[in-house]
Amino acid sequence: MVLNKVKNVLCGVAAALVLISGSAFALDLNMPVGVTPMSHDVYDLHMYAFWVCVGIGIVVFGLMLISIIWHRKAAGHQPAQFHENTAVEVIWTVIPFIILIALAIPAAKILVKMTNTSDPDMTVKIEGYQWKWQYDYLQNGFSYFSTLAADSNAASQLDSGINPDSVPHYLRNVDHPMVVPTGKKIRLLVTANDVIHSWWVEDFAVKVDAIPGFVNEAWIKVEKPGTYRGGCTELCGRGHAFMPIVVVAENWDDYQKWLAAMQASHGAFINPATLQPEQNGSPVVYAPAELNFNAPTSAQLEPVAAVLPAAAQPAVPGTAATIVKPAPKHPAIAEKTWTMAEAMERGKKVYADNCAACHMPDGKGNPAMGVKAIAGGAIANGPLAAHIALVLHGKGIMPAWGNQLNDADLAAVITFERNSFGNHTGDLVQPAQIKAAR
Amino acid sequence: MSTVAVAHEHHAEHPRGIWRWITTTNHKDIGTLYLCFSLLMFFVGGAFAMLIRAELFTPGMQLMDPLFFNEMTTLHGLVMIFGAIMPAFVGLANWMIPMMIGAPDMALPRMNNWSFWILPFAMLLLLSTLFMPGGAPAGGWTMYPPLMLQTGIAFPFTIFAIHLMGISSVMGAINIIATILNLRAPGMSLMKMPMFVWSWLITAYLLIAVMPVLAGAVTMELMDKYFGTSFFNAAGGGDPILYQHVFWFFGHPEVYIMILPAFGIISEIIPTFSRKPLFGYSSMVYAIASIAFLSFIVWAHHMFTVGMPLAADLFFMFSTMLIAVPTGVKVFNWTATMWRGSLSFETPMLFAIAFLFLFTIGGFSGVMLALVPADWQYHQTYFVVAHFHYVLVTGAAFAIMGGVYYWLPKWTGHMYNEKLAKTHFWLTAISANVLYFPMHFLGLAGMPRRIPDYPVQFTDLNQIVSIGGFVFGASQLLFVACIILCVRGGKKAEARVWEGAHGLEWTLPSPPPYHSFTEPPAPNLIWAHPYRND
Repeated sequence: MVLNKVKNVLCGVAAALVLISGSAFALDLNMPVGVTPMSHDVYDLHMYAFWVCVGIGIVVFGLMLISIIWHRKAAGHQPAQFHENTAVEVIWTVIPFIILIALAIPAAKILVKMTNTSDPDMTVKIEGYQWKWQYDYLQNGFSYFSTLAADSNAASQLDSGINPDSVPHYLRNVDHPMVVPTGKKIRLLVTANDVIHSWWVEDFAVKVDAIPGFVNEAWIKVEKPGTYRGGCTELCGRGHAFMPIVVVAENWDDYQKWLAAMQASHGAFINPATLQPEQNGSPVVYAPAELNFNAPTSAQLEPVAAVLPAAAQPAVPGTAATIVKPAPKHPAIAEKTWTMAEAMERGKKVYADNCAACHMPDGKGNPAMGVKAIAGGAIANGPLAAHIALVLHGKGIMPAWGNQLNDADLAAVITFERNSFGNHTGDLVQPAQIKAAR
Repeated sequence: MSTVAVAHEHHAEHPRGIWRWITTTNHKDIGTLYLCFSLLMFFVGGAFAMLIRAELFTPGMQLMDPLFFNEMTTLHGLVMIFGAIMPAFVGLANWMIPMMIGAPDMALPRMNNWSFWILPFAMLLLLSTLFMPGGAPAGGWTMYPPLMLQTGIAFPFTIFAIHLMGISSVMGAINIIATILNLRAPGMSLMKMPMFVWSWLITAYLLIAVMPVLAGAVTMELMDKYFGTSFFNAAGGGDPILYQHVFWFFGHPEVYIMILPAFGIISEIIPTFSRKPLFGYSSMVYAIASIAFLSFIVWAHHMFTVGMPLAADLFFMFSTMLIAVPTGVKVFNWTATMWRGSLSFETPMLFAIAFLFLFTIGGFSGVMLALVPADWQYHQTYFVVAHFHYVLVTGAAFAIMGGVYYWLPKWTGHMYNEKLAKTHFWLTAISANVLYFPMHFLGLAGMPRRIPDYPVQFTDLNQIVSIGGFVFGASQLLFVACIILCVRGGKKAEARVWEGAHGLEWTLPSPPPYHSFTEPPAPNLIWAHPYRND
């Protein structure tokens, strides 16, 4: 009878423990194991150090508790008067020292491995900006910016009224993710344009500071295809929480398709998901020749357009139907001529992606931050040349956009600023004007 | 003889009312000023923390602009470090050191007055930036360039406030060293000094060594912004990381400036309520000295992600891990002091025991953070926030609170209300853990620090943390209530307030006379200090 009762109680406790630990896993209470060889090593080191601390804690806290429970005056305990013992002092100096050596050796070994960036299969340069990332595929000759997804951005505005729970991957989603192949050693060259940022994807166990004027190195080798998310971890100003990192890892073949599509897209970003074969249909076989992809060599660091002629278009449209290739938005940037309507439409998007963070979606600026208003502002309603110069070269906390946006986008956004928020200058700026002003 | 006569005359003359506090050169009055000021700043910095936790209660921005949030985190750090923790320790030093070493006052009383009165103006200057166009500094308390250089008109005010606080600290430190080295009662050799005095002697040297380094770092920043230099500007041939090296050469000893006096306080409280001499007095002194020395060669462990060479990473990892050895010695010695004692659990002892457990947890996470590969995951996440709040709140602040309850009857002549004080302790200790423990999990799960908004998977833990924060904040009102009630009245306190208390301060009546020891104490009293009974 009694035994049975004890048994029941024990079963109940065990069930409760399982439930608690189960929910604990659901809550993500620990460091993820990750998907790179380094992240496994780091996870193991972390757990090893954790259990060493738990062990020491049990001994030390146990002794304190024994004192607190048994050696109390209320229990009538008389104080001993010992106050010195050289032998125990030596013991509790030496034992921690030995434990520390046992921790230091594996840590040093892993560190040596992690800092070895030699012999990479490919290199991507990552540059931090206030507040976005730029991924530059050095060997493939293209680069693009990666900014916070529009739905997250809208929901994160003060009193937006949008429930963040309703936004997929709130603050962990971007418009243009970084795309990498699995199973390859990828060297990351990390730097920054303005202030210090830090590039961190926890599943890769890579955190490396992006420092203006200096280039830091790190490497990753992703084992599993998937989407991995992180963010900036060095305070970088108002938008620090709003510059996430999303890395899509694809197997080598899919990655090659994406590379080819990117090189053929004339500057537009191709979402790798749109290149996947349709779920219900049979997989489409992409012959390398159709995409006109050649493995890049270091000699091929010319601009995209020069490397990839028009033949990059699929030879047989039918077979490549699943490659969603949007019509290039600005096929030849320098020669593009905007109409007012086109420029306003494009400018509105460029403004939302790049300017609204500081100048606010309504163009009223942010006086607390020292950001001037565009609505009714002296620059947006003053001489055009001064407006173009300010946007191109920056001033004070206004960044220089000349090296971040192309001529067409700059022309569009300046046009938009001069004809929105109650501004009515009627100016239509053309890419050629930007080119001339550079 | 003549000095005694002059002192008596001066005693008769000291002014009353507000003028007493402005012109005072008395170590007790100045100690009181420091302690009241730090309590006020504890609430100001705490109010900033409440705003931070309120904004982080749910994802999305509800209360403030992200830039204002950054101003709050920056000011919370600066106010708590330079306004609350450091002045509280200086206040305790002012009150207790002359009484513990058998001196009439501090060695340099006029400088003592000046070093306090700089502080309120420095803090006013810092807090006034909240009302300036462009807002308060928002680059974090570490003030890293180039971000800090984007601060508006608040920038030079912040730098000047830092300079003033540094001057105040250095003057306080000089005074403490001069007092300890010159005014000890005959017969009190260095190795017979109370542990609190020892810890402050070493802390004072750290202050003199590193505060000028901080002043240099922020001045170079000022030059970069206004005088066209490029110390930290890569485009001009400088290096933003140089600032971090210089800053943390100050910053790491600064961490020990905020914990060594706490070690001293705990070493006073635990023997008293264990009714047993401190175990291993001399090894405790050597441990503090070793920690102080090591604090100068570990600074770059705050910057493992900046891309240092492998050899530097390894050096700073090993030197940092080494700190665990003397720190461990201290924890073991405190445990051995309690071992087979006759323990009672008045409020000071409760805070001291909580310190032992919770500071040790902060030490554990410190060892984990020292491992460079693991640090690359922990760095700049809430794991670090948890670590340094365990060390600075449940470490330094708990020791200060314990010290205040321990000596409050001596200062006021009244016993505090034990029941109210114990309520304060339990609310504080429990809420602090609700506040800081889940931060470990948040950091491991990937939440960066210093962010005003977060992905929704962190919501539950953030709500627990915020609730802990609100309870912790509200509980401190009880602390104020305890102090005010005790100053106003209460049971009369005896000279030796606690049964197991030893040391010169307990030979003076409660409250002590205006000039603590006008005559040197009898040598046999010095031998009765709590560390040896031979």
